[in-house]
Amino acid sequence: MNLSIFFRKNLMLLAILAVLAGLFAAAANGMESSDFVITLLRGLSVGSLTFLVASGFSLIFGLLDVLNLAHGTLFMIGAYIGWTVYVRPDTFVDLLTPLALVFSGFMLGDVWTILSTRSLFAGGTKRVLPWAGILVSALILVGVLRSYPVSIWNPEDYAQSPVSISYLAGQGQNILPPPAAFGSISPLLALAGLLLGGLLLAFSLSLFNAGKQAVSKRLGWRSFAGFGAFLLAGIVFFVFNDALTAFLAALNTNWLFLTAVTVAVGAGIGLGALMETTLIRPLYIRPIYQLMLTIGLSAIGIEMVRAVWGRPEFTMPRPELFAGTGEACPATSLSDWWQYHCSTMILLDGRIRVYNEIFVPIVGLVVLAGVWMLLQRTRLGMVIRAGVQDREMVEALGINVRRVFTLVFALGVGLAALGGVLAAPSIGLSNMMGESFLLNALIALAIGGLTSYPGAALGSLLVGLLQQFIIKYGQIGIPIPFTDIIFKPTPPIVPASTILLMVVVLLILPNGLLGKKE
Amino acid sequence: MNHLLEVQSIHTFIGQYHILQGVDVRVPKGSITALLGRNGAGKTTTLKTILGLTPPRQGKVVFEGREINGMRSFDIAALGIGFVPEHRAIFRDLSVEENLKIAERRKGDYTRKQDFLFSLFPDLKRLINLPGTHLSGGQQQMLAIARALVADNRLLLIDEPSEGLAPVLIEQLMQAIRQLSAETTVVLVEQNFLVASQLAEYYVIIEEGRSVKQGKMKDLVNDKATIHRYLGAA
Ligand SMILES: Nc1ncnc2c1ncn2[C@@H]1O[C@H](COP(=O)(O)OP(=O)(O)OP(=O)(O)O)[C@@H](O)[C@H]1O
Ligand SMILES: [Mg+2]
Repeated sequence: MNLSIFFRKNLMLLAILAVLAGLFAAAANGMESSDFVITLLRGLSVGSLTFLVASGFSLIFGLLDVLNLAHGTLFMIGAYIGWTVYVRPDTFVDLLTPLALVFSGFMLGDVWTILSTRSLFAGGTKRVLPWAGILVSALILVGVLRSYPVSIWNPEDYAQSPVSISYLAGQGQNILPPPAAFGSISPLLALAGLLLGGLLLAFSLSLFNAGKQAVSKRLGWRSFAGFGAFLLAGIVFFVFNDALTAFLAALNTNWLFLTAVTVAVGAGIGLGALMETTLIRPLYIRPIYQLMLTIGLSAIGIEMVRAVWGRPEFTMPRPELFAGTGEACPATSLSDWWQYHCSTMILLDGRIRVYNEIFVPIVGLVVLAGVWMLLQRTRLGMVIRAGVQDREMVEALGINVRRVFTLVFALGVGLAALGGVLAAPSIGLSNMMGESFLLNALIALAIGGLTSYPGAALGSLLVGLLQQFIIKYGQIGIPIPFTDIIFKPTPPIVPASTILLMVVVLLILPNGLLGKKE
Repeated sequence: MNHLLEVQSIHTFIGQYHILQGVDVRVPKGSITALLGRNGAGKTTTLKTILGLTPPRQGKVVFEGREINGMRSFDIAALGIGFVPEHRAIFRDLSVEENLKIAERRKGDYTRKQDFLFSLFPDLKRLINLPGTHLSGGQQQMLAIARALVADNRLLLIDEPSEGLAPVLIEQLMQAIRQLSAETTVVLVEQNFLVASQLAEYYVIIEEGRSVKQGKMKDLVNDKATIHRYLGAA
């Protein structure tokens, strides 16, 4: 009884899935089993990376109504940050102190609220003051950072460019240069300048919001805890800079990779929170501006990556666990692989890359399950699901929706950054990786349903599989029945095919496969 | 008189539309006060303005002696105001239990209130694990009211609870509202004058965004002219 209702309600969905399953079976029939396994796993891999972008994008859109077109760029930034930690831990450690000191100022939100509401200035001064503060703080920060010692690569000089460093690191010959030293500026002055610049910047930015926040704040030790923690961290990183660098450089690459992933995800979360609170939040009443802002940020992000890491593509070396090439390789089973850490493995006569085709899909599955649990089993998840449907009512229950917005935005960007850093050793780092995965993710969401979490997973899977099967058939060709013609899809058909699938699905089910009818 | 809530000549704009043009509402503690008026008069907007969902541009909202206009709406709600929106806006993707749990303001609110809620609405107990989508209209309305009772609210804003319900259900609902008003002050928007007049002790009539008349319900019931003029009903 219930089952028949289910069938009737989801007739179109089931029909589409049946057709897709049929196509899939036909595709499987037309190729060797080894080719099939490889293609299937590659599809899962691309699907997983797409899912990491799509799921965050869809959570953010569902709850905040923000189409974050910078999401792909944030995916890319995750990759480049991960690469930096993994290949140049010295650069990463050098940057920790300036970052911690500048951000410490932003941890004094309560103080700034109180200071800015006690309007010490009136009229014109009040309007000019924040801009003047931003200008002065920018001058201080630029002045200090120009002569602050950071040991870094140089994309202009081939021998020192990320491409060469990455290649050498892959060969196990990565030698970090001697640490950069203070030259034209005294260390104490530099630290004081960073701290001061950060404080002034945070205060100036808070002046824009003067009078818009609850005034009933009181200062307690909590108001200073974040500031203290960041200040302390900045000093600790400064004092133990060399020791920390040496520690990271000596770390086994598996652990270093884990560190890189953690830092990239953390940076994504931090960037997301910062972006939502400072740039997105003032524009909730102007969605068009928000859209333009995210496009602009995306362009700025790409240019920054080009300036810092250069334009050429390169690949992040794989951690030791997935890099073995000895005599015992390729591995013939998982236990074999575990013993020799082979980079490749034989599965049903096909030779697959363990990192790309096994590890990445597994992480994708773990994240899928983890976020699903978060959504279904925690209070935060409950609030998110309720907010996707009716934000106003959630607010009317007394729940601080703004904080949830920030959390979700941060989480979404964190997922994208995770996708990026996972992609770095498999598809490699390039300036355009973000855009291509954002496009994939958008198509996946259109297919699966824009604000449906299972829809994001299903759509990403379909996009990944379809692309990889078309690519494979581009190599082996499709014999057209009753003729001698062998049709070989050319590369431009790959994006076209996913878009075709999207169009067909949307024509039949305008809300996507698993989208809700509104 | 001891007023739990005082709305003082509020003006509310939605976009460029001047929707409320001077609404005054005084709600005595421990009473049920009905907001009456024709469709589009501004009753829902008044409730939303109290909660800060559509903040007033002018005027004051005072709750328990504290000026709350200008506060963020979740801060206002957290002071102890529950909201039952019109059209039974429950969370469809959440189960009945989750719909109640999400309203917790302190840990354990739901467990503490469970018995009380099920005594008001015995049906909910049976439906506790169903998704919100599966509930009938009446069940949704009961859930929406129960949800507003999970936290310790001292004021309840209920928007058209009887809308679209069968007479038997309306009777049951009135029972429940009467019962809960023993502990909680209620502001009730109600189109059905019969229901409103049986439940409420006080009334406020809103007409084209202005509060035009208020007083005791028992006086209004006998004032056929006023009823006819503002509510159109007999
Ligand atoms: N978002 C909006 N934009 C423009 N006008 C609006 C908006 N929301 C409400 N209004 C207008 O505000 C007026 C008051 O609406 P409100 O919903 O408060 O009426 P109401 O008294 O609750 O009516 P009903 O009994 O039909 O629920 C109506 O004329 C309505 O058209
Ligand atoms: Mg209404």
